[in-house]
Amino acid sequence: MDERLARFAVDRARALGAQYAEARIQRNLESEAILRNGNPEPAVIGDALGIGIRVLVNGSLAFSATNMLTEESVRSLVEGAIKRAKSAAKFTKQKIGFSNEKSHQAKWSAPEKKNIENVGIEDLARVLKELDNSIKNGKNGVEFPNRLFFLRTMLVERIYVNSDGANLRGRVPRLQFHSYISAKHSGKTSTVTIPAGYAQLGESGGWEVLDRFDLFEYVPKTAEELADVVKAEKKPPTETVDVILGPEVSGLVSHESCGHPGEADRILGREGAQAGESYLKSNDIGYKIGSEQAFVSDDPTLPNSMGFYLYDEEGVPARKRALISKGIISSFLHNRESAHDLNTSSNASARSVRYDREPIVRMANTYIEPGDYTFEGMVKDVKLGVYIKSFMEWNIDDKRLNQRYVGLESYLIEKGEVKHHVKDPILEITTPKLYGSLDARGNDLKFMGATCGKGDPMQGIPVWTGGPHVRLRNIRVAAR
Amino acid sequence: MDAKEIVNLVLKEAKRFKVDDAASIASTSHEDMIRFSNNSITIVKSLSNTVVYIYVATEKKRMLGETSNPTSEGIAQFVESLVKSCRANPPSEDYTPLPKGPFRYSGAPNYDKKIEENPDLLIGLAGEAIDNAISAGAKRVAGSLTAYADELTIASTGGVEAREKGTTILLNVRAFADSNASGHGLSCASSLADFDAKGAGRTAGEYAKKALNPSALPEGKYDVIMSPSVAADIFQHVGWAASAFSVESGYSFLADLLGKKIAVEKLSIDDVGLLQRGLGGRSFDDEGVPTGRTSIINKGELKNYLHNTTTARKFSSKTTGNAGLIDPHPWNLEVAAGNSSVEEMIKSVKYGVFVTNNWYTRFQDPRSGAYSTVPRDAAFLIENGAIKNPISSIRISDSIPRQLGSVAAIGKERKWVKWWEVSVPQPYPIIYAKKSRQMPAISVSAAG
Repeated sequence: MDERLARFAVDRARALGAQYAEARIQRNLESEAILRNGNPEPAVIGDALGIGIRVLVNGSLAFSATNMLTEESVRSLVEGAIKRAKSAAKFTKQKIGFSNEKSHQAKWSAPEKKNIENVGIEDLARVLKELDNSIKNGKNGVEFPNRLFFLRTMLVERIYVNSDGANLRGRVPRLQFHSYISAKHSGKTSTVTIPAGYAQLGESGGWEVLDRFDLFEYVPKTAEELADVVKAEKKPPTETVDVILGPEVSGLVSHESCGHPGEADRILGREGAQAGESYLKSNDIGYKIGSEQAFVSDDPTLPNSMGFYLYDEEGVPARKRALISKGIISSFLHNRESAHDLNTSSNASARSVRYDREPIVRMANTYIEPGDYTFEGMVKDVKLGVYIKSFMEWNIDDKRLNQRYVGLESYLIEKGEVKHHVKDPILEITTPKLYGSLDARGNDLKFMGATCGKGDPMQGIPVWTGGPHVRLRNIRVAAR
Repeated sequence: MDAKEIVNLVLKEAKRFKVDDAASIASTSHEDMIRFSNNSITIVKSLSNTVVYIYVATEKKRMLGETSNPTSEGIAQFVESLVKSCRANPPSEDYTPLPKGPFRYSGAPNYDKKIEENPDLLIGLAGEAIDNAISAGAKRVAGSLTAYADELTIASTGGVEAREKGTTILLNVRAFADSNASGHGLSCASSLADFDAKGAGRTAGEYAKKALNPSALPEGKYDVIMSPSVAADIFQHVGWAASAFSVESGYSFLADLLGKKIAVEKLSIDDVGLLQRGLGGRSFDDEGVPTGRTSIINKGELKNYLHNTTTARKFSSKTTGNAGLIDPHPWNLEVAAGNSSVEEMIKSVKYGVFVTNNWYTRFQDPRSGAYSTVPRDAAFLIENGAIKNPISSIRISDSIPRQLGSVAAIGKERKWVKWWEVSVPQPYPIIYAKKSRQMPAISVSAAG
């Protein structure tokens, strides 16, 4: 990766009249092993390297990208971007600007003990074979006739320069695991994912992450739990009850109904035609959305996190953002464009998944802050309730107000004790009701890996969703 | 190097390592996009990429690669590394040799030079969409307009050689009459002649205006009329579930149903490789096999799964020209037109809803097909054969196998659909799913 080419792009854009220019040379290296029903599928290696530039000309913004990394190609790329920005300027009724930010020069990387580039396909394949062996004979009288495992290494390296003087070089290695498992019991087959909810185990770091996943313990144990889940037939109570959400569910809640609506580009309408807008308005900082127990944050700097970075894709240093504090909306997620529009500063939320995708406002690692409760302490005070430990189906409207989570591993709670499994409890609830009913947070914060979708063209970006067990009081639960 | 030289170099390098099979596709693409919101352009994008996809197999070991470095040196290094990884990969019982060509390909590509060479045209078209949405009643308009052109070149050790160009132009426009009233408009085409920016803007604006002052809807089971966008979003899952890979992986609701009646008589769905005046599509698949027309559902009966040569061998069937070297997938889903107009459908509904757009379709159990989805933009209550008032904040919950059996009417006019939520292009009619004594209708609910 040649930094001179990025500098050349920025200088050329400035010479051609850009009021602001940036260039990012980015390489995404991936390798993935896939094992299906004990048989290897073709393994996959990907190497995407190219340059993306953004130029701001007369308040009009253009983004261009190519994988042809020659000076001639980059010159043409810059000239095309400037021309397009100028053409669009007359239809850009709301002039675009970027907030003023201090420029930084740094080299940074996610901590990595065992270099991810040294991991071969054979290493990934060996892990998956052992996992398959651990569950292929079924558990507790339940067969697993279909088993599809994925294990993937990812490495992102980027050089970033802009016309304000930023010069950054970053590196993030990652490891990611997910699977589909069919469970057959009494002639009926159900298919779920491990982890549940189409989630992943995902962390930044080198091959040492495999030890932290503890897959050889995690997968058989989860499959065993699944074997009990598929036998469940009893329906959940459908009156108003208390609900305890497991960390996998509370993490998703924080992402969907706090992180997304807090993205300032959605609030400003920029994603209106695709990912949607927000129930929050631009003057809603200070708005009370939940109980005093509602605390949600996003922090790109969390060690080992899937959404780890130290500088965002506009060169702004990463920091923790408190999104909801004591039930009050306390900040939005901003890039330099949205920060300029709302007369504030960026809090380093600009991310891009590849060289050919524009940096837009994204979450990194969004989570409900832990509290003091033990799980047992939380259950003890529940007369009648449902414990939704994990989920599969979920969705939310495009303002992030009306959401639904359908439990997978779920239990009845009666007189302060967790009882039998219940099948598919449905939590369909508005965002203020959800955060307004939150009265207890566990001390057991946990994170899951996920790929968050946004942007056009679509950008699936690695994130963590996190939370502890949380308790919601007086909630209506439904059954399918 | 041009694309033909790239794929030939890949094969030459792969043969140097004495692999049993090799195939390569070089994709050269250019995409121009305009995004707009609040009636103003937010960004213009221009993306040019040459990507080389490579498959190698040796000793029943298989490997796929993708590189964005199409130089001679880059290709040579990447192939060497790919073959090295391939040899380290365990062998697979599923290995199947690549099909032997050469093949003859039919069908004219969907290509319009005007789309490929006219990026500035997009700015004017975006303006037309915005203006028409506002004239029809919108206050704010957002959207994206994309012109995409690519050329694919394939070669394989099976003797395959082919090349084709394609273009698409896609407009997705969303109009807001206020914060609770929005409408969606689409225009998707492979040629400028079939593209209608004004119409898409006007539709979005009209729906936004009609969606003003929505009411809540009681939870319950309703007849539902789905616009082409909604029907396409739901029924694209039929295409994916028909992939033999999905069936064998256990996450298809079409597993074990081949030859069985799974839908009403009037429902037929084909996968078509290259539809004339269609969107995208290909005359050859990733193994170089000619694509064609494959009946998935014919008059309610599940006729075929979609195959590549590997899945075909395992299912004792023939490839349907739908490779994906790992998983076969649909190209274009074509639902046979019915004989109803939307007015006739509305007239026949005593108590139901008309949904114009949706998103976020998710499955509780992909094997059973139980799902829910969130209507967005204009939706309406229908009472006694007439649209009564707009409704909002609803969710549809159903299962696709159940829904296939509840289709009561299919529109006679079809509309091409492809947008953020619908990745498989489809010429789709309006679908009317009716409740009956035998078939409880679609559940509609709202958050508490």
